[in-house]
Amino acid sequence: MLKKSWPKQPDNQKYPPGDYVQVRNTSRSVFMTSDLGVNMPAAFKKRGWDKIWDPQKALVAPEHAGAWWRPIDKVSQRESHRQNAEWARQMGVPEENILDLGRIGIDHHMSVEGAWVTPGSFYLCGDNHTISVGGVGAFGFAPSASNNFIMRFGWTWLRVPGSVKFIIKGKLKKGVMGRDVLEYILKEYGPTVALNKVAEYAGPIIDQMSIDSRCTMCCLSVFIGAKTGIVNPDKKVLDWYKARTDYPFEPLASDPDAQYAAIYEIDGAKIEPMVVVPPHRSTVKNIAEVEGTPITNAFIGSCASGRDEGLAVAAKIMKGRKVNSKVVFNITPGSSASMTRATESGVLETLLKAGAFVCAPGCGMCPGFYTPLAENEVCIGSSTTNVPGRMGAESAKVYLGSPATVAASAIEGKITDPRKYLQEE
Amino acid sequence: MALKFKGKTWIFGDNLDVDNEIVSFAKLHYGVFTHDQLGEHCMENVDPEFHKKVKKGDIMVAGTNFRCGHDHPHAPQSIQQCGISVVVAESFDENYIKNSVAIGLPLIELPGIKKKVKEGDVVEADLHAGIIENVTTGESIKFKPFPDFLLDMLEAGSLEAYGDKLIAEGKG
Repeated sequence: MLKKSWPKQPDNQKYPPGDYVQVRNTSRSVFMTSDLGVNMPAAFKKRGWDKIWDPQKALVAPEHAGAWWRPIDKVSQRESHRQNAEWARQMGVPEENILDLGRIGIDHHMSVEGAWVTPGSFYLCGDNHTISVGGVGAFGFAPSASNNFIMRFGWTWLRVPGSVKFIIKGKLKKGVMGRDVLEYILKEYGPTVALNKVAEYAGPIIDQMSIDSRCTMCCLSVFIGAKTGIVNPDKKVLDWYKARTDYPFEPLASDPDAQYAAIYEIDGAKIEPMVVVPPHRSTVKNIAEVEGTPITNAFIGSCASGRDEGLAVAAKIMKGRKVNSKVVFNITPGSSASMTRATESGVLETLLKAGAFVCAPGCGMCPGFYTPLAENEVCIGSSTTNVPGRMGAESAKVYLGSPATVAASAIEGKITDPRKYLQEE
Repeated sequence: MALKFKGKTWIFGDNLDVDNEIVSFAKLHYGVFTHDQLGEHCMENVDPEFHKKVKKGDIMVAGTNFRCGHDHPHAPQSIQQCGISVVVAESFDENYIKNSVAIGLPLIELPGIKKKVKEGDVVEADLHAGIIENVTTGESIKFKPFPDFLLDMLEAGSLEAYGDKLIAEGKG
């Protein structure tokens, strides 16, 4: 897939792994976040830059923090977005590319939901969880500190990665989700197994997996060192896009004879619900080893979950049950679109009746927006990382698991294997 | 700029997380310190005294998977602010080098470097020539130099200053 997409790049040269090359966005949009203090107009003004690379492709939204605001910021989220949006209009960005609260979500969600990223494209957007878009067969890449430069010049650079392939065979046990597969890979092969490489996921389990779970696996590929995670786009993905956009795109897939630095075959039946334990992101255990650990908080949300599937599995587990009296269960849909669907399907009603605290779409608790952890609290989240202080107080402890594990734990007030709540199907 | 750096080395381990070992995400995020104070908190979860001991121009040597986790640009900012002139690592996560070059802080990947350098050795790095010399031991190690456009970026001092240069040359 990767090699095939290179010839579309500007200088059309051969790209051996390890070389540094300039790369251009080839997707429908380039994301320009406009919250968390990002102030592109000021940066452009400071340098005397008076135009952006391609106004038709710029997409502007206050997507990470949304409505949240931290008192330490000199400029509020609203002010930051207002300045960015006004400036974008002056730069010629079309009105339909300037989005605001109520029509957005985390960039990594809305880029797929709104078909702003297209299969087979090279897509530049925000932070390194952009690689979530590998779930629809796009090569996501994070400009991070190069945002202003990309918006002005339209290109960035990377070191050409090699690839590793994970073939997940057999059948997953009930209650085991895409998240568990990725954490299992981290547990078995360590945090550098895909360092600076493309992590490709394939095999019967991936074929059957939802787009949501594929995006989750790609999103979390950051933690096995991957430059990007990717799944070859199949009919499911192409149908999804045909229903959502007329924008032309050319899906790409890896060649059957592609060269891999390594191929790992994994028996899906061996994968249990997995839990990342504090304080290091790379310490992963089978749930049996941590079951019973008391918790005070539970969280479903962020670019690592917060999609329809995660909300739906939580509702399935919570239906007719209550959140434990000692637990605050924060559920933050990743986008307004996801929240709308969860409303239509009754998922949100179930979660609200169970006593979950449903927050406004965005990153939610993952970086401590809304219900940040207090001193010494213990949380299990389906979010990205557990570095101390990530979700609030540095003394708080953060465990990570699938949305099913989080929901089951929220009921019992301790880390709980979700399978006991998923038997009745 | 010649892109030559000479300084005393500080050695660190593997899998240093941007938000934990390199500099605390939480403390920055919740306002315990500001962006201007990042240098004073560099590596404090590994060595609380590091920022006091390090001198301007010193060189950081790290192990594998340097800068793992998120791609927050405050990590290279912290390293640069505390005075480090260049980072040499066994291997590094790619997002780091993008954020690092963007602020004019070079990073060199050199497998085996930790076997060739002890803490306190004086090391000289020449980015154009692709040579690192351990001045203390006299040993030279070669590495593949960056392509010209990256050397240009580093010489400009920041990605945005490089952008100015592109515009001046009619390439923007």
